[in-house]
Amino acid sequence: MSDGLESFLAAAPWPQRLALCSLLALARRPRGAALLAHAPLAQEAAGATLALGRYDDPVVARLLGWDAEAVVARGRRLRRAEGRP
Amino acid sequence: MRRTIDADFCIVGAGGGGAVAAAELAEGGASVVVLEQGPRHDADDFTAHPPQMLARLYRDAGQTMTIGSPPILLPLGQGLGGTTLVNSGTCFRTPASVLERWRDEYGLELDADTIDACFDRVEYSLSVAEVTPELAGANAAVARRGAERLGWSHGYLRRNARGCVGSGVCVFGCPTSAKQHTGITYIPRAERAGARIFTGAEARELSRERARVSGVIARISDGSSLEVRASEVVLACGAIHTPLLLARNRIAGASGQLGRNLSLHPATAAFALMDEQVNMARGVPQSFYVDEFAGEGLMFETVAGPPAYAAMSLPLRGERHARAMANYPRLAQLGLMVSDSSRGSVHSLGGHPVIRYSLDAADLARIRIGLQRIEQLFRAAGASEVYLPLAPGVAPGAARARDLRMMAFHPLGTARADARPTHGVTDGRLAVHGLRGLRIADGSVVPSALGVNPQLTIMALATRLAFELLGRPVPRKPKGSVPDAEIATTSTPT
Repeated sequence: MSDGLESFLAAAPWPQRLALCSLLALARRPRGAALLAHAPLAQEAAGATLALGRYDDPVVARLLGWDAEAVVARGRRLRRAEGRP
Repeated sequence: MRRTIDADFCIVGAGGGGAVAAAELAEGGASVVVLEQGPRHDADDFTAHPPQMLARLYRDAGQTMTIGSPPILLPLGQGLGGTTLVNSGTCFRTPASVLERWRDEYGLELDADTIDACFDRVEYSLSVAEVTPELAGANAAVARRGAERLGWSHGYLRRNARGCVGSGVCVFGCPTSAKQHTGITYIPRAERAGARIFTGAEARELSRERARVSGVIARISDGSSLEVRASEVVLACGAIHTPLLLARNRIAGASGQLGRNLSLHPATAAFALMDEQVNMARGVPQSFYVDEFAGEGLMFETVAGPPAYAAMSLPLRGERHARAMANYPRLAQLGLMVSDSSRGSVHSLGGHPVIRYSLDAADLARIRIGLQRIEQLFRAAGASEVYLPLAPGVAPGAARARDLRMMAFHPLGTARADARPTHGVTDGRLAVHGLRGLRIADGSVVPSALGVNPQLTIMALATRLAFELLGRPVPRKPKGSVPDAEIATTSTPT
């Protein structure tokens, strides 16, 4: 699990954290995923959370044209140059 | 250990309402203390990675949920700036029809000249200006093309931004500090004028002397306690947390309205696969609106974000999700926001908010129609596929509440203003009925849905309140004008 996804889960209120961690554990196993297929909302929650982590991976995101590090570096340069907070 | 300090005004919460009131009061010569539960954010810590930023900038990592049909995600900001730190920066003045309704239904007489002066003042302070087409990017161009082909009313949104280069992550912390949220505008002004700002300070108790509130006791994150004795206390914790603080202190319950009348803007968004390159995260995510159906309570605004954001909200599963994400550079997105007639409530369970809200039949009907119109707009714009936020196989016209994938924004009304003490928590001057020394300056006093993004309304009401507390008229015109060239760069987003 990526650091970002871990911090996202860690900052969630405990009921959501518990539920999401359980759902993610299920979603990663074939039998668990099959079980989740019978609970569409739970399956969506797990899928959305996994997708959040997967597409936040810099390698994956760059392939799709998004470079978070470059965006942040440009922002930092502009802030420094223009004396913004 | 408890420290005690004295001030003219103690303000609880440093979001859209609290920060504005703090700056105006401090600049007016008053001694001001601000208690903010969240932290002070440093733009150097903004990473443009959605999961990290959700964890840092949002209450509950952005996972605040309503209980009802359907369950709705209600993201709220935390820290100096509050939700203005993580919103898209869209600025609308309160529609005239809404102000008329407030007068007719709630007995709220808002002098038009005064409220206009408040809007002028806020817009000047926040460098509010219309987004340029270049900065709006290709996602807005798709929406514009669709609206033009259908002959639907539309336009570029006005935003509180200065020197924006279209980083595409307004809701995950602006890395250029272009978005003029209150944490980098009004709060520094308040500090320069001598206001004392305490972060990590959770207001727990409102001190009372008979029918008067005389201060606030806060728990500080280092374990200590702080008592602020003040002539006036201004609550600005937002529509979810202000009623909880009042209820905890057994204040303002007499009307039976506290925590009730919760209005939201239920919202959802659809994606479309276009032939052209959209690269939705290049440009201002929320930059364009379609208000053709505003009279029916429907507003469409562009939304967008980086791949992680899109992947999380794309309403597809498995192979279809992967295929659509492989085409992320060609995905466009448009959001639907409903001016609701549903009403919910908020109460506390073990100190945490429990938010109850279910869509009524009228709102469900609006959402069905809204989704049909988004699909119509995307098709008119040339979309080859449209992905609606519905359960698989469900057509928009047949959608039930449980089929919808919803978020909501802009909670309002849980301590609503009404001239009648039996119908509202505060009066038109935002003073809590039946109590002296306590005002409210956040979305909880706004008595009805606005149909537009509410940050400007909340800030204008806070401005009006601050000048009333100072006993001075709101200055008619801010001095000078904001130089346009500094507001919105015309450079193409990269």
